Amino acid sequence: MTPVLLLQRVGHLVPVLLGVTVIVFLMMSLTPGDPAEIMLANQNATPAQVAMLRHDMGLDRPLMERFVSFVGHALQGDFGQSLFHRRPVATVIMERLPATIELSVAAMAFALLVSIPLGVMAAVYRGGVLDRLATVGALLGVSLPGFWFGILMLIGFAVNLRWLPVSGAIDFAAQPPGITGLMVVDSMLALRGDSLMNALAHLVLPAITLGLPMAAILMRVTRASMLEVLRQDYITFAEAKGLGRGRIIALHALKNGLLPTVTVAAMETGSLLGGNMVVETVFGWPGLGRLVVESIFVRNYPLVQAAVLLYAVTYVVVNFLADLLYTVLNPRVRM
Amino acid sequence: MRLKPLLILAAAAAGLYFAPVSAAELRIGFTLDPLTLDPANHRSRETESVLRTMYNGLVAHDPSMKLVPELIESWTWIDPQTMEAKIRPGVRFHSGETMTADDIVFTFTRLLADGAIAGQTSPRKGLLGPTREVVKLNDSTVRFLLTEPWPVLPAMLTFQEVVSKSFTEKAGAGGIATTEDGTGPFKLVQWRRGDSLVLERAASYFGGGPGIPKAGNACIERTIIKIIPENASRVAALLAGDVHIINELPAHDIRTVEANPNTAVMAVNGTRSFFVALNTTKKPFDDVRVRQAANHALNRKLMIDKLLAGRATKLDGVMSPAAFGHNPNLPEYAFDPKRAKDLLTAAGYPNGIDVTLDADGPQKETAEAIAALLTQAGIRTKVAIGEGSQVRTRWAINGKKEGDMWITSWGNGSLDPTDIFEPTLQTGGRGNSAFYSNPKVDALLAAGGRETDATKRAAFYQDAEALIHADAPWIFLWLPQDLYGVSRRLTGWSPAASGWLNLRDVCVQ
Repeated sequence: MTPVLLLQRVGHLVPVLLGVTVIVFLMMSLTPGDPAEIMLANQNATPAQVAMLRHDMGLDRPLMERFVSFVGHALQGDFGQSLFHRRPVATVIMERLPATIELSVAAMAFALLVSIPLGVMAAVYRGGVLDRLATVGALLGVSLPGFWFGILMLIGFAVNLRWLPVSGAIDFAAQPPGITGLMVVDSMLALRGDSLMNALAHLVLPAITLGLPMAAILMRVTRASMLEVLRQDYITFAEAKGLGRGRIIALHALKNGLLPTVTVAAMETGSLLGGNMVVETVFGWPGLGRLVVESIFVRNYPLVQAAVLLYAVTYVVVNFLADLLYTVLNPRVRM
Repeated sequence: MRLKPLLILAAAAAGLYFAPVSAAELRIGFTLDPLTLDPANHRSRETESVLRTMYNGLVAHDPSMKLVPELIESWTWIDPQTMEAKIRPGVRFHSGETMTADDIVFTFTRLLADGAIAGQTSPRKGLLGPTREVVKLNDSTVRFLLTEPWPVLPAMLTFQEVVSKSFTEKAGAGGIATTEDGTGPFKLVQWRRGDSLVLERAASYFGGGPGIPKAGNACIERTIIKIIPENASRVAALLAGDVHIINELPAHDIRTVEANPNTAVMAVNGTRSFFVALNTTKKPFDDVRVRQAANHALNRKLMIDKLLAGRATKLDGVMSPAAFGHNPNLPEYAFDPKRAKDLLTAAGYPNGIDVTLDADGPQKETAEAIAALLTQAGIRTKVAIGEGSQVRTRWAINGKKEGDMWITSWGNGSLDPTDIFEPTLQTGGRGNSAFYSNPKVDALLAAGGRETDATKRAAFYQDAEALIHADAPWIFLWLPQDLYGVSRRLTGWSPAASGWLNLRDVCVQ
């Protein structure tokens, strides 16, 4: 990929982000409810007090002026003050971002580790018991609502069996010194086995809950794609050459069979980011998703705008990386 | 699904991760992360609950919600616009510095002056009403100067916590938002944003005020407030023994928590009065008999049992029985559909009336139950559900006054009558959704709003509440309880109507 093409791809980001900004800004502004009134709701504030707070929050300025000011400041990396935390939005988001990254990566790892082997096996032993089980499992995985499945897991493994913790990212006693903010990584950097086990134990339920729908979709995609590939002439040719079954699948079929999986996995990051909001709430995970949900409820405009922008950038970047990976997996594809 | 390896991993992890928990550690499952640790820069009840474990105010509540001095020894009214407070000697901040009059003056200047918090104005300024300035008289005395008489000041002081001048100046607006230097029973070890707050017992704690038994028997060394926003997960954490106290226990989980041998439910009367505002300016509710009929039409006990799992106190007046100036002798509006029909007939509606009950989404179920009961008594009621802010606008005091009835509520966190009577029942009050106007009530409220003698002041509000009861501008409903789930290993703790966690005397067996 040439630097020019790379620049072009980065250039594509501009209209996407601008569009996202406009849409989020308008949607938040059109939603009924006023942050100042919500902040003072149930507190019997006088209209004068509400007006003063609106002024303090900068909400008494016209919509257009606020938009231009937001974009202008955002370009300089300043996303303004969180209306409710009354601290810079960037600071508040950065405090919560590592936990979300950790959970999302764990969920994605779970999804890939489960879906690819299962998908391949289901395709290879098509119509067999494993295939049927996997297909039914995938259907369940896609259709079970995350909040319900999460609570079910919680009651089973945390309340009744007491194998795993109910909430949070790590216990206080096990907390490693903060370097990256990712508990698993920090535990390893600090060479603390107890911390690592504690962090992993906290990760298991939320990561499975978050990764399950993605695993189900990827399993189906991998299976379908592998079935397609296994019918190709070059596979027949490889078989005719007398190559072993395992070798054919691992070396010849899998590489091509995984191409759609990569694309779909990248696209599914979007739903992973959305799923975070539910899973973090259910498991008391100290991440960004929960913060965004809470912020939407109270119309914390600046925080929601910045977070959605961050989501949009993440989504575009992940898809870009998937495209890059595509060229590695399939050299015929040129960007 | 390849669950087996995971289960093995989980089992292996379980052995390792359960750190031994000493009895000296208390864990609380709490709904929301504090927005900030700056006591002056938020308007959130949950944030205040957490802050009160680390900070104190000049005035606090005793367990029966009576006002008691906390960081002061006493308050006296010099005149209706000047209140003097004697500072408690020997109170120390967690940093070890002694609290002085300068700290108190600094705290209130920061609350009152525009732009005092790095350019931001404290959103808690409004809670200080007509307070103009707080000045130091000498090392042990400060004075509150008001622009008009405001006897509710001591009650409103419970909403403000005292910060250290030197700490706040040194830490800056960013520092005080994330660290603390309070005078409270616990000090902050670490705030893990969105996850938990770790607190430890502050050795320097002065022990509380008169009327608050002296601390010293608190046997927990560390408190961890874990943030678990989802109801089902918070309950699960309690049942799993992971936490010892949870707040906001959902009513439908009461039985689960009670059925578990290790857990129990604790409840306290809240401070929010629920009522149906009746439009007193137009037919049919301009007639007091129709309004009384509506009050007799509801079986409130049944509704509380069915809708709120029995966890609410029936009201026949305006405010909580725990509030200052509450009238304990109000007669009851008994459930009596026949009496309701008779009153309607007497008012000239022998065939009943057709009305609409406005409600917002969260009140839908209650509104429908009310409508059903009213209809049985001849007040044929349709429910109209609207979006919160739209419904509020429809019932604003300066609005068109077109509605018939509206189910709403009014919080009275200070438990002082000023806070609920004046806005909701004084002529033209900003929350007077019944558009109620009674010159006698207005006169009593005005007198109560000036009187600094507590006994005389209480009498004014008791008289006003009796008049309002008879005039029935509202269908009086109930005061819901705040529900908590607790471990049976917990002693020395009870929930407070203020929502404060009050951890000084807690023990975990």
